Amino acid sequence: MRNITMRYANGVLANDHVNFSLEEGEIHAIAGENGAGKSTVMKILCGAQSPTSGEIRFCGEPVQISSPKAAAALGIGMVYQHFMLVNEFPVYQNIFLGAELCDKRGVLDKKRMIQKTRELSEKYDMAVDPEALCGALPVGVAQKVEILKALARGSRLLILDEPTAVLTPQETEQLFAQLRKMRGDKCSIVIITHKLKEITALCDRVTIMRQGKDMGTYRVSDVTEEDISRLMVGSDVSLTLDKPAARPGEVLVRVKDLTVPGAGGKNRVDHVSFQARQGEILCLAGVEGNGQQQVVECLTAISKRYSGEIQVMGRDIRQARTWDVRAMGVSHIPEDRMAMGTDQDASILENLIAVCAEKESRLGLVPYAALARRGERQMQAYAVKGSLRDSISSLSGGNMQKVVIARELEGDPAVVVADQPTRGVDVGAIAFIHRQLVRIRDQGSAVILVSADMAEVFNLADRILVFHEGEIAAEITDVKRATEEQLGRYMLGVERSEVSAIEP
Amino acid sequence: MNRKLMDGIRRRRLWRSLLRTGMTGAAALLIAMGILALSCAATGYDAAGTFRQFFLGPVESPYEIGEVLLECVPLLFTGTAVCIMNRCGQFNMFVEGGFFLGAFVAGVLAPMLPAGMPMIPVLCLLAAALICGALGYIPAKMKASLGVDEFVSSLMLNYIVFWVVMYLLHEVFGDPDTVNKTRYLEDYMKLPFLDESIRLSGNLLIAVGACLLGGLFLFRTKWGYTIRMTGDNPRFAGYSGLRSGQAVVYSQIIGAMTAGFGGAAFLLGSYYRFEWTALPNYGFDGFVVAIIAGNNPFYVPFAALFLSYLRVGALQTARMGSVPNELIYVIQAVMIILFGAKTFGDMLKRRGGKKV
Repeated sequence: MRNITMRYANGVLANDHVNFSLEEGEIHAIAGENGAGKSTVMKILCGAQSPTSGEIRFCGEPVQISSPKAAAALGIGMVYQHFMLVNEFPVYQNIFLGAELCDKRGVLDKKRMIQKTRELSEKYDMAVDPEALCGALPVGVAQKVEILKALARGSRLLILDEPTAVLTPQETEQLFAQLRKMRGDKCSIVIITHKLKEITALCDRVTIMRQGKDMGTYRVSDVTEEDISRLMVGSDVSLTLDKPAARPGEVLVRVKDLTVPGAGGKNRVDHVSFQARQGEILCLAGVEGNGQQQVVECLTAISKRYSGEIQVMGRDIRQARTWDVRAMGVSHIPEDRMAMGTDQDASILENLIAVCAEKESRLGLVPYAALARRGERQMQAYAVKGSLRDSISSLSGGNMQKVVIARELEGDPAVVVADQPTRGVDVGAIAFIHRQLVRIRDQGSAVILVSADMAEVFNLADRILVFHEGEIAAEITDVKRATEEQLGRYMLGVERSEVSAIEP
Repeated sequence: MNRKLMDGIRRRRLWRSLLRTGMTGAAALLIAMGILALSCAATGYDAAGTFRQFFLGPVESPYEIGEVLLECVPLLFTGTAVCIMNRCGQFNMFVEGGFFLGAFVAGVLAPMLPAGMPMIPVLCLLAAALICGALGYIPAKMKASLGVDEFVSSLMLNYIVFWVVMYLLHEVFGDPDTVNKTRYLEDYMKLPFLDESIRLSGNLLIAVGACLLGGLFLFRTKWGYTIRMTGDNPRFAGYSGLRSGQAVVYSQIIGAMTAGFGGAAFLLGSYYRFEWTALPNYGFDGFVVAIIAGNNPFYVPFAALFLSYLRVGALQTARMGSVPNELIYVIQAVMIILFGAKTFGDMLKRRGGKKV
């Protein structure tokens, strides 16, 4: 695959001139954080999406993979993270779904399908009962069915999307053994993952992706775990920002023993305690999906599924609703501006006033004229191009995010929860957004920044809490003396420091 | 950016959307003509006469114009009611039952009030609105608190209301001199006429007023704002601290009240006795009107007028005997497809993708 570029309809650049090559009989890892574009490359390879531009060669021949069917004809199969099985059907029917074996009269040949299933499972050492119902299978076995399904269709190139996310360590070990066996059989395997241990334990080569670009392909034997982690989360563009030293004041947010339950008895957030002060940017750093998002949901009263205590300015928010928390002065820049931060069907003005429309109303009437005057000022201050009456969907991602931030920073909020405020935003807007967050800090707000971007963390944070698997893996108080390597090791769980500095 | 330029662009955009709507309407008319021509060819009737009757019949005489306006009144009310609920993403069918019940309440209550009482029509209108609003609370609250699909529960509610009304009409409140009708209204119970010679009742003004009020409610008040944001993107509304759970409830109560009020106004102004023995379909027509109007109450008068014009035209050609009256439903279906393809798709997406 050469120079693959994928730009989604909403302007998000998911892949930016990505190169990827795969040899016969190798296990190849695609590593990168969530949102780095790994899945997009693989969806293009297996025909689920068409690239905006770029070239794909298969065995030296240029090919067009326009649909999953076309991919299957080339012998490319994908095993998705969320299984695509019909739970009400037995294993053998799932394996031959859409490619059923029939006898001469066109009737399903049950015996032959069961027989074939058995042969396949023996060949690859994957014990499954062909007649068991898929809905009753444990996840580890269901995954084997998925893999067999791909193999039964003659796949020689198998893509697995985060295959170990749902497996126990024993099942993982078993899966790896089976994959090695398939490699011996001249199958090529691609694994999408962000777990370093898996890359070193299983793979021959690794391609690392970051922010839609590929950071190169390496032999696993030539690189260390630390090299990989640096390439995954490290940063070469340093957007240095001149900011005065923080002058932390009163504690505004106090989180005590916060626990959010997750699936399978594992806590998404596991007994986390911290506090955020006035005039300080506290950064919750970590690879996405390590519990930061759940913390944000609890802090902003969007979710109540937690135990422990959260105090905002001395008040427990257990009973508070989103509007109560907002009335207390907590504003929230959400991670997903399309699904949560904006109403795509509404105008820029209507998006700008969402958090104050009810409060500013007189006799039930929204003072649109006055709000529009303020809106004009905000548009100018934030350099957003466009007219207030235009639909917000006409704005670019960066300008849309500026509208969100203008709304959330209006009226001197006491606490600002900023969840990935610069994701998918161009460089100019990033610098601007960073300056705004520092400005609001210097005006005496407590800023809680959630970020997975090293450059952002080092640029903005006055104090860093590193999240790993729902726990605080480390607290870094002296950000100036910390290094990216060190932070990367904490983020990926290679290392952790005992956290002692946090008194409740 | 240059303000003048932006205004120019905006005006051009408005023109373009008006042009699109106009062209869709023209396409609907063209298809209607095609169907007319086909059925004339099949039955051997005079095509030119049929065409004339269909398109010019409704505006031929003041009396015919009065008929178009009369037909328009229920659509104005139900169309506005549907707009308000659809904007919140609520597919509530109680507009149908509400309109029916509102008419019944007015028909029963007006003769029961003492003759000397002032403002009898106004009291009847308010009573109908209140009763329908109270019933509208049932599917709304069930949706907001228990997640029960308002589409199903409001359809069920329609049948409950229908059969209870039938029972009451037959056993309790019916006119003893006849069967399944309420007493004929005396003049002092009716809404005043605008022009008696063409049966133009004052309820037309009230209906247009309801559209305007509905539009102001949606686009100027904070409740309207919350309704629209909740309907567009419930996650956004919830995150912004808008009380979207309440909006789900009050949008449906207001919709039901509008429908009940409309039913009462229709009866007091144009019908004079309650004698429906089936649901009159005005509520479902409200969905057609709302779709043509793009769920904007300000556009409901145009959409309702358009639909009632076509209806009266079809009715007249049917009376002439050349073309079956059912033709209008074919034309209506074509219009729904033409106008509604996008709106309807959006609404379905809202229902399926994001649960309020």
